[in-house]
Amino acid sequence: MFYLSYLRSELLRRKGRTILTLLGLALGIALVIVITALSHGLDRAQKTALNPLSSIGTDLTVTVKPEGVGGGAFANRTVSTDLSKLGKAGQHFSYDIFSSGSQTTFAQSQAKSVSSIPGVAKIATGLTLTATHQEGKVPKITALFKTGGQQLRVSGQVKPLSAASLAKMAKCMAKLEKSRAPTTTTTNATHGGLQPSQNGSPTASPIAKGSGPIQACMPAGVRRFSKTITVPRQTLKKQVRTPQTNIKTSSYTIGGVDTSRTDMGLITPAQVTSGRFLAKKGGREALVAGAYASSHKLKLGSTLALNRTKFKVVGIVQAPLGGQSADVYVPLQQLQTLSGQKSQINVVLVRATKGAAVGAVQKEIEKTFPSAQVASSKQVADQVSGSLVDASNLAKSLGLALSIIVIAMAFMMAALLTLSSVAKRVREIGTLRALGWTRRLVIRQIAGESLLQGVAGGVIGVAIGIAAAAAIDAFGPTLTASSTAAGSDQAVLPGAFVMGQGLARTTTSQVALRAPVAGSIILIGFALALLGGLLAGAVGALRAARLRPADALRQVE
Amino acid sequence: MTSTPALYELRGATRFFQLGDSTIKAVDGVDLSLDAEEFVAIEGPSGSGKTTLLQLLGALDRPSSGKVFFEGRDLGTLGDSELAELRLRSFGFIFQQFNLLSTLTALQNVEAGLAPFGIASAELRERSLAALSEVGLRERAFHLPGQLSGGEQQRVAIARALSGEPRVVLADEPTGNLDSKSGADVIALLTNLASKHGITIIVATHDAGLAAQAPRRLAMHDGCLVADGGKSARSNKRGSR
Ligand SMILES: Nc1ncnc2c1ncn2[C@@H]1O[C@H](COP(=O)(O)OP(=O)(O)O)[C@@H](O)[C@H]1O
Ligand SMILES: [Mg+2]
Repeated sequence: MFYLSYLRSELLRRKGRTILTLLGLALGIALVIVITALSHGLDRAQKTALNPLSSIGTDLTVTVKPEGVGGGAFANRTVSTDLSKLGKAGQHFSYDIFSSGSQTTFAQSQAKSVSSIPGVAKIATGLTLTATHQEGKVPKITALFKTGGQQLRVSGQVKPLSAASLAKMAKCMAKLEKSRAPTTTTTNATHGGLQPSQNGSPTASPIAKGSGPIQACMPAGVRRFSKTITVPRQTLKKQVRTPQTNIKTSSYTIGGVDTSRTDMGLITPAQVTSGRFLAKKGGREALVAGAYASSHKLKLGSTLALNRTKFKVVGIVQAPLGGQSADVYVPLQQLQTLSGQKSQINVVLVRATKGAAVGAVQKEIEKTFPSAQVASSKQVADQVSGSLVDASNLAKSLGLALSIIVIAMAFMMAALLTLSSVAKRVREIGTLRALGWTRRLVIRQIAGESLLQGVAGGVIGVAIGIAAAAAIDAFGPTLTASSTAAGSDQAVLPGAFVMGQGLARTTTSQVALRAPVAGSIILIGFALALLGGLLAGAVGALRAARLRPADALRQVE
Repeated sequence: MTSTPALYELRGATRFFQLGDSTIKAVDGVDLSLDAEEFVAIEGPSGSGKTTLLQLLGALDRPSSGKVFFEGRDLGTLGDSELAELRLRSFGFIFQQFNLLSTLTALQNVEAGLAPFGIASAELRERSLAALSEVGLRERAFHLPGQLSGGEQQRVAIARALSGEPRVVLADEPTGNLDSKSGADVIALLTNLASKHGITIIVATHDAGLAAQAPRRLAMHDGCLVADGGKSARSNKRGSR
């Protein structure tokens, strides 16, 4: 076929121009594919990570501020634990303490009044608690008090000595010191069965048993008192400094999920990445956030013991970021029982009848319940930060614009190149017309060239695009998204082991940058290249068709 | 003579060009009658309207006023595709710049002139090679124009113009870009082939030597036909009547 061989000759023998057009189109298409794939990937990541509330079917979360001065009163509360009740010394112990943190709990029944507010489609309830987990070996603390401790106590019960008797006693002691200076330290060592603690209290009085030179210095009342009073044997509690033990303290968040519904809640089946959602009847099952699972070596089927209640891990979840996200999820009733908060909740999730109603519903809830803190999905999403957010914002604001610019530039380049080639070929076109070529034939030839370049550019562009997307998949950076919970949940720890915990809780989720290339993108990319080729062809052909053969032939090169 | 129409019949053929305020009369009221199998030279200085007249004769342009009849058909009334058909079947063009398609080989250039006939590829090639053989360039069939000398390029153009077996070959300064030797060769080739195939040749030239070879010489000045050697007087008379 002559026309095809002409077309081939034209494209092959004007290599520079052809390659330029092809590359322009191909790069444009490739860029569009990569940008689309990237924003697609970011979109996906964003749906789970950046839109915390809507991913769990919720428009608003309602929590209740603690009464009094902000969250401080609650946040600084400490809980004491009787160490002696942990078990025998050396025994392994593990327990969890639950606290509501900065979200006051309230009766589950109160949530009903939220659902009657106009514009509220449905509500779900939940209980989000901060848990402190401790485990280790029971330290030998009680032993400290069992031998000879009574006498320590006894001295504490003596009435304060008068200044005169104190001065007299000091004088006597000074004299005594002088006479036996080199052996002072032995007193402590020989003293009773008292085991010196590591942090041995220097104030522990070295009062000797029975008679001794020191006793001689004491006022008569004291001497007599210690001789006559027998303190009954008892186990005493005393706060001592933390012994060096292997006790580990960690803090995590736990959410009580209303398992009767799956369309909305603290977590929904949509967030389950492996395994399954909690059973409807709400047994001793738990869902664990991916990050928590990997750091605590939990797998599907693992057992999670919370205060000796064993929960089976049935699912790993990618928890939505935000104030109400938790590391561990158990059925609401189970958590209520565990934490001793029967029928109590501290969060109500609200879905509005329609998107436009959200603002009004939020205002209405705030008005009806002055102590309520209402967070909208936008507010929660706004709290999420990190590179994923930056990338996503960039993709959102730039992705489409960039795609359009890139493709427009590629089209323009193809069209301009075709135009310039037509301009350079005016005499050639005139010659063809003189040879008896119809207008239609000339247009077909010129447009055919552009179309072929579009096809080739599309194929190359799609190939480059897929390769680039695959490269991003393989070597792409990991993006992070973090959210700092609205309230500052201070960890609440047992008295003996109080240690500072982070005030604000930050959840971070890591998302590998992915660029999934959908078949539709490939088709669109190819169609775009064809369109570009056609556009360029049409522009060129139109220009060629307008030429009158006589004028075309007069064109000097 | 009156029973069959003349090859060409021009009556007051005029072609204006509007350039701003001024009107250029490139061809100004030409009356002319040409019979088949003539070898006609159109002489005249540069800008006298030779090219424009050839374009009117070759259906590359339409007259602004007046009539151009080819074989009795008024070219001014024909549509685009009919004109294209005429150019394909009845006219062959030869240009001063050769006007070969630079990306195509000698063979492909000849094929380009035959392609719109819609003949099969094999026949197309065969006829094109035959045409190249006639101009003695068979062995250069696969050379690109850039690899050929000016004389060779013009011979390819002649092969292309003649391959479609036209009634008329319109040559606009065919030797203008050639040295005298190859120019003479080209003209000899052209006239030989034309007489062999019974083709009318109309050559526009300002080369007096070339014009002298023509049995009929027309002279143009400022768009007007000023002299007609041979049968032209009769034609002129008839036209001005
Ligand atoms: N397309 C055009 N537009 C304006 N003027 C033109 C055009 N074509 C030809 N002319 C003018 O018409 C006149 C005749 O030109 P042309 O036929 O090329 O003469 P020749 O071929 O004898 O040199 C010249 O003055 C030329 O400038
Ligand atoms: Mg001229």
